[in-house]
Amino acid sequence: MNKALISTALAACCATASIAQAQTTLELARFFGDCDNAGTDVSAAVGEACIIQSIINSFDAEDNGVRVDTLPTDWGNYYDQLMAMYAGRNAPDVHVIHKHRIAQFASLGALKALPEEDLRNAGIDPGDWAPRAREAVSYNGELYGVPMDFHANLWHINMGLMEAAGLVNDAGEPILPSSPEELVEHARMVKEATGVDYLTADFAEFPIGVRLVLAMLWQQDTNIFDGDNVTVNTPEARRAVETIMSLFDGGYARPNLNYNDSQQAFLAGEAAILVNGTWVVDFYDAEAAKADVALNDYYAADFPTLFGTPATWADSHLWSLPSTIAGEPEKYEAALSFLAWLNDHNIDWARTGHLAVRESVLASDAYQSLPHRDEYANTVNIARDTPASVRYSAIQDVLNRELQSIWLQGKDIERALADAEREINRIR
Amino acid sequence: MRSSPWMSHNTLSGWAFILPYLIAFVPLLLWPFFRGIWISFHDWNLLAVTFNPSAKVFIGLENYVNLLWGDNLSWSLTQFPIFRLIVTGGALYFYWRAVQAAGFNRGRLITLLAVLFVSVVLLGLTGDWYDPRFWTVVRNTVVFVAIVVPATTLLALLLAIALNRPGRWAATMRSLFFFSQILSVTVVTLIWQLMYGVRNGFIANLLAPFNIASPNWLTDDSLAMGAIAFTTIWWSVGFALILFLAGLQQIPGDRLEAATLDGATGWRKLFYIIIPSIIRTVQFVMIMQIVLHFQVFGQSQLMTQGGPGDSTNVWVRYIYQSAFRDSEIGYASAMATLLFAFMLIFSVIQFWVTKRQES
Repeated sequence: MNKALISTALAACCATASIAQAQTTLELARFFGDCDNAGTDVSAAVGEACIIQSIINSFDAEDNGVRVDTLPTDWGNYYDQLMAMYAGRNAPDVHVIHKHRIAQFASLGALKALPEEDLRNAGIDPGDWAPRAREAVSYNGELYGVPMDFHANLWHINMGLMEAAGLVNDAGEPILPSSPEELVEHARMVKEATGVDYLTADFAEFPIGVRLVLAMLWQQDTNIFDGDNVTVNTPEARRAVETIMSLFDGGYARPNLNYNDSQQAFLAGEAAILVNGTWVVDFYDAEAAKADVALNDYYAADFPTLFGTPATWADSHLWSLPSTIAGEPEKYEAALSFLAWLNDHNIDWARTGHLAVRESVLASDAYQSLPHRDEYANTVNIARDTPASVRYSAIQDVLNRELQSIWLQGKDIERALADAEREINRIR
Repeated sequence: MRSSPWMSHNTLSGWAFILPYLIAFVPLLLWPFFRGIWISFHDWNLLAVTFNPSAKVFIGLENYVNLLWGDNLSWSLTQFPIFRLIVTGGALYFYWRAVQAAGFNRGRLITLLAVLFVSVVLLGLTGDWYDPRFWTVVRNTVVFVAIVVPATTLLALLLAIALNRPGRWAATMRSLFFFSQILSVTVVTLIWQLMYGVRNGFIANLLAPFNIASPNWLTDDSLAMGAIAFTTIWWSVGFALILFLAGLQQIPGDRLEAATLDGATGWRKLFYIIIPSIIRTVQFVMIMQIVLHFQVFGQSQLMTQGGPGDSTNVWVRYIYQSAFRDSEIGYASAMATLLFAFMLIFSVIQFWVTKRQES
C-alpha cells in the first residue's frame, strides 16, 4: 500500500516536473500603470493598465506552454530601470518601448532585430502595418519591434462649458481657435460665461507643456533641429511660448497643476479644455457617464491649428526583445508568439483611444465605431515627432525644465530659450 | 629566530577578527569606490560599454574640467553680495571672539582661512560654466542642508528636553516621534504627497472650511524646497531626538539641580548648562546629518522630480540622471567623486573636533 502511494506520488512529481520543464517563462516589462484583478476578459477591461494586463493575462492563460511574469515597473522611472536592467545583463525578455527610444537602444546593439520571415512564421504580417508604424519600428533598415499604436496630443473638451460660452456650432462640434489671438478671445469668453479656466494641462511635471510648444513650432514650419543645428531660441519658439503665457497672464489657465491635478480639474468641470493624449479617451468617456462626475458631455478633438500648418505631437508604443534572446531559441519563439498575440489584439488596445497600427484594423467597422473616434479622425494626418536622437530624453528634459522656469519661475523667455539651446548643444 | 610581525600570533588573530568585515568591505565598498574613480577618468556610456567593452575612452580629468570649469571666468565682488558678506563677517567675528576667549590656535586660523577662501574667492567666480546645471544642483543641495540640519537639530533638542522625563505620556511621545524614522523614503514621500495635494490633500482639506485655496506646495517655485525640507525634518527628527535623549541622560542630576538653585531657568539653563553638557552629542548629530543630507535623493526624485524648473534638483539626483537616464556613467562618477570629497571634508572636521575634545 505504502509502496503504491509512494510510486503514485513519484509519478505525479515527475509529471509535474515535465510540465514545468515544458513551460517557458517570459519576463515582461511595461509601464501604463497597475490594474488590480485585470482578469482575462479583454473585452471587459477599461483604461490602458487594465486592457494591456488583460491581454497579457489572457495569453498567459492560453494552453501555449508560455508563462508571462509582468515586472513591477513605474512610468516615472521606467527607462532608467530598463537601462539598468540592460546594463546588468538582466534585460526583460520582452518590453514596451517608445518609438523615440529605438535609436538609442538599437544603435548600441541592445535590441534584437526581427527578420520579417520570423514575424510571418509567428503569425504577424508586417505588410498589414500602416507605413508610419513600420517606420516607427525601423532603424537602419531593420525591424526592431512590433508596433502597438500611434498616440498623440488631443484637446479633451467639456462641451457643457463650451456651450455656455457660445463655442459650439450648429453641428454640435466645439468651435476651436485658429490663431493665438482667437485662443485668448475664446478663453475670455469661457471665463466670462462660466468663471472657470479655459484650458488646463500638466505644465508642472511631465513634458506635456513641451509637447504643446513643439506642436506650435511644427505649425510654424520650424523644429528644434535644423539639420545639425539646434534651433530652440527662435522667433517662432518665442511666439509659441508667448501664446501659452498669454493664457496664464490672462488668468485663463494655471501653470502649477501637475498631471493628476490637471486631470482632476477637468473632470470636476473646472476647465473647459484639457490637453492630454489619446490614452485617456476611453477613461474620460467612462468618467463622463458617471453621475458624480461634473464632466457630462465629453468630446475629443484634434489639436487645433493655431498657426499655418496643422500639427500635433505624436509617438508610438512598440514591443521589443533584447538582443541576448537570440541565444535562447525557445524564449525567442515564445516571445514572438506573445508579440503575435499583441498584434492580434490591436483593436482591443485601440479602445483606450490610441490609434491602431494595422491597416485591417483601421478599416474595420469595429474600429470606426469606437466612441469619439470620428471626432479626432484627422489626428493621424497631423501627427508629428521630433527627429530621432540618441539623447532624446535628455533634450526633452532640458526643454521641460527651461519651459517650466518660464511659467513657474518667471524666467525671461529669451534667456530660457537661449539657455535651453546652449545646453542641448552641449549634451547632444 | 623571531617571527616577523606579520606572522605573530596577535597579528594573525587580529586579521581573523576583521576578516568577516573585510569580506564584505572590500568587494562591496572598497572595490566599487576605486572603480568609480577609475570610471570617472573615462568617456563611458553605460549601455554602449555593456555591449562593447572597448567603447570607453580614457579622457583623464576632462569630466572634472567639464564639471568645475568654464569659459571667460572672472572674479566679481558683487556676486551673492549679502550671503558672502554675512559668511565673511560671521567667520571673522567668531574667530575674533574665540581668540579673545582662548587665545591663538592654529586649527582655528586654518578654519578661518578656509571659510574666507570659499566666501571671498570661490563664491566670487563667475563666467560661462561648461555645466551650469552642476552648480545649480550644488547650490540647491547646500540650501537643503542649510535648512534641514539646524532645524532638525534644534527641534530634536527641544523635544528631547521636553520628553526627558519619566512617565507613560513621555514614553508614548518618544515612541511616536521615533516612529517616522523607521519609514522608508518612498513611504515618507507618499505620506507627504497626500498631505500637500492641492485638490484633496490633508492641508487643502484643513484650509477648505476657511475658503483658503491650498498653495501649490510642490510646484510653486518659492515653496517646493521648503516643502521637501519640512518632509525631511519630520522624517529625521526622531533619530536626532533619541541621540539627544541619550546625551541628556548623561548630565549629572546634581549639576542641573545646582544650576536651578543658582537661579538658572528656561533659556539660560538651556544655553549655559544643558547645551555645553551635551555639546559632543550636538556636534555628532549635526555632522552626521550634514553627511546624510548631502546625499538627499528620494525626496527630490519622488516629490518634485527636481522641479519646478531645476529648483529642487539635488546633487545625487543629477548623478542618477546622468548615469541612468543619459547613460553617461563616467561623468556621473566624476560628480560622485566630488560629492565624496565634499563629504570627506565634513568627516575630517568631525574627526578633528572629536580628537581635540578627547585630548
